[in-house]
Amino acid sequence: MASYLCGIDIGGTFTDCVIVDGDGAVTTAKAPSTPHDFAQGVRDALEAAGAKLGLGLDALCAEIDMLSHGTTVGTNAIIQKRGAKVGLITTRGHNDVIHIMRGSRGLTGHDIRLVVHIPESQKPDPIVPKRLVEGVSERVDCFGKVIVELNEEEAETAIRRLVDKGVEAIAVCFLWSFLAPAHEKRVKEMIEEIAPGMFVTTSHELVPKWGEYERTAAVALNAYIGPLTTGYLSRVTRDVKKLGYQHPLQITQCAGGTISVERAMAAPLLTLDSGPVAGVTGSQYAGGLMGYDNIITTDMGGTSFDVGIIHDGKPAFSYTSLVHQYAYYLSKVDIQTIGAGGGSKAWIDETSGMLRVGPESAGAAPGPACYGRGGDIATVTDADLLLGYLDADNFAGGTLALDRAAAEAAVKKIADPLGISLIEAASGIVKIAEFQMADLIRKVTIQKGFDPRDFVLFAFGGAGPVHAGVFARELGVSKVVVPQRETASVWCAFGAAAADVLHVHERVNMMRSPFDVNELNNVLGELASHAKAELTADDIPPDRQHLSFSLDMRHKGQINEVEVEIGGPELAEADLPGLHDAFVAQYERQYGQGASLPGARLEVVTFRCRAAADTAKPRLTRSENMSATIDSTASRPSRPVFWTESGETAETPVFEGEKLVPGNSIAGPAIVETADTTIVVHPGQTLSVDEFGNIELSLEAV
Amino acid sequence: MPRISQITDVAFDGLNQPYVPPKELSISPSLKLHRDWDENIDPVTYEVIRHNLWNINEEHGATIQRISGSPVAMFALDLNPSILTEDAEFVYFGPYMQYMSGVTDTQVKWILEYRSDNPGIKPGDMFLANDPWVGAAHQMDVMLICPIFHEGELFCWITNCLHQYDIGGITPGSFCPSAESAFDEGILIPPVKIVENDVVRKDIEALYLRSSRKPEMVALDFRAQLAGNMTAKARIEQLITRYGAKTVKSVMKKVIDNSEAAFLAKLEKIPDGVWRDRTYVEACRPGDRRTHRVQIALTKKDNKLTFDNEGTAPQDGAMNATYSGWRGSVMVAINELLSWDQYFAVGGALRHIEFDPVPGTLNCADFPASVSTAPTQSMEISLYPAYNIISKMLYSDAELRQDIMGIGGTSQWPTTIFRGIDQWGERYGYLLIDPIGGSIGAFAQGDGINTGGQARTPIGQLPNVEHNEQLFPLLFLYRKELPDSGGAGKFRGGLSAESCFIPHNTDYITQDTLSSGNAVPTSTGMMGGYPSTTNAYTFIKESDILERMEDSRLIEDSSEVKGKPEKLELRQENFTQNAADVYAVRWSGGGGFGDPMQRSPGLIEHDLEHLNITPEAARDIFGAVLDADDHVDVAATEENRKQILAARVKRLGNGHGPRDTLSGKASLPAGDNLAVYGSGDSARWACARCAADLGPLSDNYKDVCLREDRPVSDSNPLVGDPADFVDDAVSFRLFHCPSCGSHIDNEIAVDSDPVMRDIELTL
Repeated sequence: MASYLCGIDIGGTFTDCVIVDGDGAVTTAKAPSTPHDFAQGVRDALEAAGAKLGLGLDALCAEIDMLSHGTTVGTNAIIQKRGAKVGLITTRGHNDVIHIMRGSRGLTGHDIRLVVHIPESQKPDPIVPKRLVEGVSERVDCFGKVIVELNEEEAETAIRRLVDKGVEAIAVCFLWSFLAPAHEKRVKEMIEEIAPGMFVTTSHELVPKWGEYERTAAVALNAYIGPLTTGYLSRVTRDVKKLGYQHPLQITQCAGGTISVERAMAAPLLTLDSGPVAGVTGSQYAGGLMGYDNIITTDMGGTSFDVGIIHDGKPAFSYTSLVHQYAYYLSKVDIQTIGAGGGSKAWIDETSGMLRVGPESAGAAPGPACYGRGGDIATVTDADLLLGYLDADNFAGGTLALDRAAAEAAVKKIADPLGISLIEAASGIVKIAEFQMADLIRKVTIQKGFDPRDFVLFAFGGAGPVHAGVFARELGVSKVVVPQRETASVWCAFGAAAADVLHVHERVNMMRSPFDVNELNNVLGELASHAKAELTADDIPPDRQHLSFSLDMRHKGQINEVEVEIGGPELAEADLPGLHDAFVAQYERQYGQGASLPGARLEVVTFRCRAAADTAKPRLTRSENMSATIDSTASRPSRPVFWTESGETAETPVFEGEKLVPGNSIAGPAIVETADTTIVVHPGQTLSVDEFGNIELSLEAV
Repeated sequence: MPRISQITDVAFDGLNQPYVPPKELSISPSLKLHRDWDENIDPVTYEVIRHNLWNINEEHGATIQRISGSPVAMFALDLNPSILTEDAEFVYFGPYMQYMSGVTDTQVKWILEYRSDNPGIKPGDMFLANDPWVGAAHQMDVMLICPIFHEGELFCWITNCLHQYDIGGITPGSFCPSAESAFDEGILIPPVKIVENDVVRKDIEALYLRSSRKPEMVALDFRAQLAGNMTAKARIEQLITRYGAKTVKSVMKKVIDNSEAAFLAKLEKIPDGVWRDRTYVEACRPGDRRTHRVQIALTKKDNKLTFDNEGTAPQDGAMNATYSGWRGSVMVAINELLSWDQYFAVGGALRHIEFDPVPGTLNCADFPASVSTAPTQSMEISLYPAYNIISKMLYSDAELRQDIMGIGGTSQWPTTIFRGIDQWGERYGYLLIDPIGGSIGAFAQGDGINTGGQARTPIGQLPNVEHNEQLFPLLFLYRKELPDSGGAGKFRGGLSAESCFIPHNTDYITQDTLSSGNAVPTSTGMMGGYPSTTNAYTFIKESDILERMEDSRLIEDSSEVKGKPEKLELRQENFTQNAADVYAVRWSGGGGFGDPMQRSPGLIEHDLEHLNITPEAARDIFGAVLDADDHVDVAATEENRKQILAARVKRLGNGHGPRDTLSGKASLPAGDNLAVYGSGDSARWACARCAADLGPLSDNYKDVCLREDRPVSDSNPLVGDPADFVDDAVSFRLFHCPSCGSHIDNEIAVDSDPVMRDIELTL
């Protein structure tokens, strides 16, 4: 019996499906997303993939070994403010935690305009209004000791009041509950007794981390998206079961990897941002096959530019997430975003008379002027067209004819006031956008203590490969990879198919050096047994379970934490000096030579176990026949393209990417067009097709 | 007393008098400045390099935060990096602690004047500095200043400033509430070369660390500052290599020129005039029961702004700031209200701004006044009224009106200084950071922001209760936003909050208070808006809290416990908080904007729903009529408000006779309920509601308004009796339209102070 791996990713427009067979062969399919009932789009995409394999929907589903799926239901509920009516139960006296937030209105350096112009800023709308917050007497202290017993009478009154007010979900977060969860557990039981079927989420289960604001924000958001996500996932589970799929459905999560559908239903917060994260996971896996350990992943679409980092074969994590100005602590694959896409608008700063690009975007509607949908403001895509990077008649595989005259008219409105030519204006717009992207990547890598020159860069998204040659060159990156053509557009679904099952378990228990090795081992042992039990519940046999452990540590009295990996859950006394040295080494790598405080005591804050299970993997097929000969049908009519390097327009060869074969190589300047994107090969750069069919750009350093 | 510009026989050189940079700096001829730039630069190169410079400054700040990792750097973000030109004009100044802006360029200019000859300024040098008379805000704000050279010429400066945990002085943490003078406070360091030829001078570093109780933390912070400068320096040097010195310098100059042009374009939209505000500091030393007046005036004439502090009380006790502290405070308001669109590139604006205070005053103190508390007292009290006067200046232009911001929360910092043995058996001493949660004052188009932070540190971080309880032996009974704490108005100021704790896992805590703004509201309103709550300490000795905890009955307010309330003075030192003693501290909120009777019923309803105000306040202050379920009855509210205004006119009488009604259209909106009709010599003040004539523009409109003096406690439901802390009688003075009774402006004033002429216009 053939067995398939299947990954499904639901985007705003399309639902993507990737099927990998036992030999690693990949089949992809798309169907329109169906926002009124996403499950319909999933069925359609599976059906389309089945058709390509010559299988009916039922036959395909019966032969799928593992179906992993990324969902955006939670994300959409937040964007559209359509979440549940949430009640919150917390420690009496601390009702206002999520209203007070952490000062600074939940803004970070990313929202710099709102930071500097306070009258434009506001706190987010409360996820839980004050009248739906109930304080209950109970208290735990910083040692995890219960110093005030739970007042069950107050708890019952609180629950009944919330139920009477018609809440659809209840979040529970008590102070220091991550050290002593008994009160949260009890209140959860009481809610289940009083209001069976109510969506309940507790902070010690969801995010057992230090910081009551972030924990409260997490449970409140989790409750907010809980009922919708749960409803959706039950429908998908039921549907795929009905179609004949017989194994546990796996859901992609923000830490990379997948979790069981049950876990996703209890902790839908883990599914936020899981789509882009799956893109990084896909890159990690495919990059590994291609022999790349250090990868910068970039995804440039119409409105935004996303950057992820893979170092030593592992994705870089962040420990703080931000949703609508609400921050919470969840280990997730780090993806940084700026508003720079093909739709970014060019404008002239009135007072300085200088050219600026973004962050405002023309989006999909009206879109760039050249889309001919009524946009009349110059965007990066309009500039791309005028420079000759894009072909008006062969954009997006010829599906959208671009209006050159509209682009010219829009760019002219920039060029005239600046007193420069159309081409100068267009190349200026493009250059500013490209340098902004380079600045973001530089920031992301350097802040993690990495040097971008040690990385290859993966360029995704329709607009990415148009500009990657320049922003990569700016960073000193020597190689750009535009992933395998037929999978590039469904990379996130591919990531879902390639993902391991992964559970991240965390416990916060602050301990100071000199450490008691038994106390450390107690916490680690507890994490280990918990992790094993959960994998076992997912049908994963012990021989496929992989547990790795780490500690988040810091100097006592300081704030910065670093994650230090440890060998296993049983440390010996003799391991302790090594732990100290590993902390210092990691700290200095991340924060700079000499940043570590000599002689200071150390503090362990978070204990972490990443519990993974191998799953069958897609195999990329290597081409046996490498050929230097470019098929004559790959050539398309040449066209004039403006090159900033020479400052001149030159007639430039154009190729059809789909007709290039492994072993082909093209020296820039050249343009290579595929159905999904356009690759701009600048003078001095060389494009080649590798043995997997991926397109590579080799660059020289500036 | 004369202002600086009127004094000719004194050297403002940073010794006994503050350093005030002259227009032309006197720099040793041995130091060559890089002065090669071009006014024409192509717009693309400009934007690329500009973006880079902004990022370099941001990376500089991030580097300091990463390496320091101290709670001060991470939570309070009490730091700031900047880039200045060779002659010390700001190119970029970071979005962290805004106070530090005004203290940065002065110190660089001083170094240019007083260090360029001996020991000289050379490539590979850095200067350490914290002398408030040269330019620091207070001794703990230590700067590391780095010149960058290109081919032997001084190209530009990179600087950073970081608040130190402890730099010496009689009180741990170096805020010294009972200091008699600067000699009781932390070490004073006029700029000294601590890095020479890219090598740290160990002798100078040792001298610097010697005075601190926490030398290892100061040492680490010094390394953070060093790394920040090294990072920024390397990036600037790369830019020069890539684009050439002339091009990079051209961009720097252009950033400043552009910010100057933007600033001038704003001034062009604003009429000439003078705007003034007044407020008070309490308790300048333990036992002091006086009020100390703080006044600020802004004069706009053509394309120039002048700020002065005439009328401000003399320096005294331990509450003062120096010239640079005062200037830095005013610059915060300039940055946020006038230079935000230039992302705080304030250099261009500064070319047209004069700072002209009176020396010897509490916010322009001579050496050796005590200044260690400056940022929480004299600077805070100098800053917030500056928001009001600049806002009033901007009001007349509809577009600039969108940038208005009222006085925000924690307008005086109610300090909680505590020390003892912590839950780990170790000695600790620090202060409660909670008041950084602040609040944002009302805007001209909407409500302020509840606990929206302190405007002067736009990205500060409030610690979690769990952070506080991990770091210190405390148990928080509550931390909550306070209904009615925001100033009332057509748009309400943001709510502030209160933190309440008991000692936990320790025998007792030794505390000091250090505050002002507990008697006299300091977050006053704007254009008829009312003040927020005052600061307040609550202390209940021998309470029943431990029994309540035993019985599982926690509290949401200190009034729920039984015990012996004890009044804490505003500078009470070394008092003991025992296990059952409940301590709470409340900070001031945001001031309101506009007449509360003009607040829309919809917003009142929203406020009731979200517990921003109490039903009592809705009725008493906003004139709302509520039904049995406390919902607003819109029609009845409108009728009720009419009656309140009519009754007000009748009750207060009208000593000036009936007012004419001016005809035509107002020539200028001057305030939310204040307009100008006509122009030139015939211009007259008028009520913006009913066009009642309020006298010639050359007079104070308040002279013909209905004046009503009420107790200060009427200005906000949470404000108490000033007599608890000050001997001066203080009133809430309201000025209403004599015809329609609309509220135009109000003052919180010591009775012996004259009516403030808050606005003078020349049309």
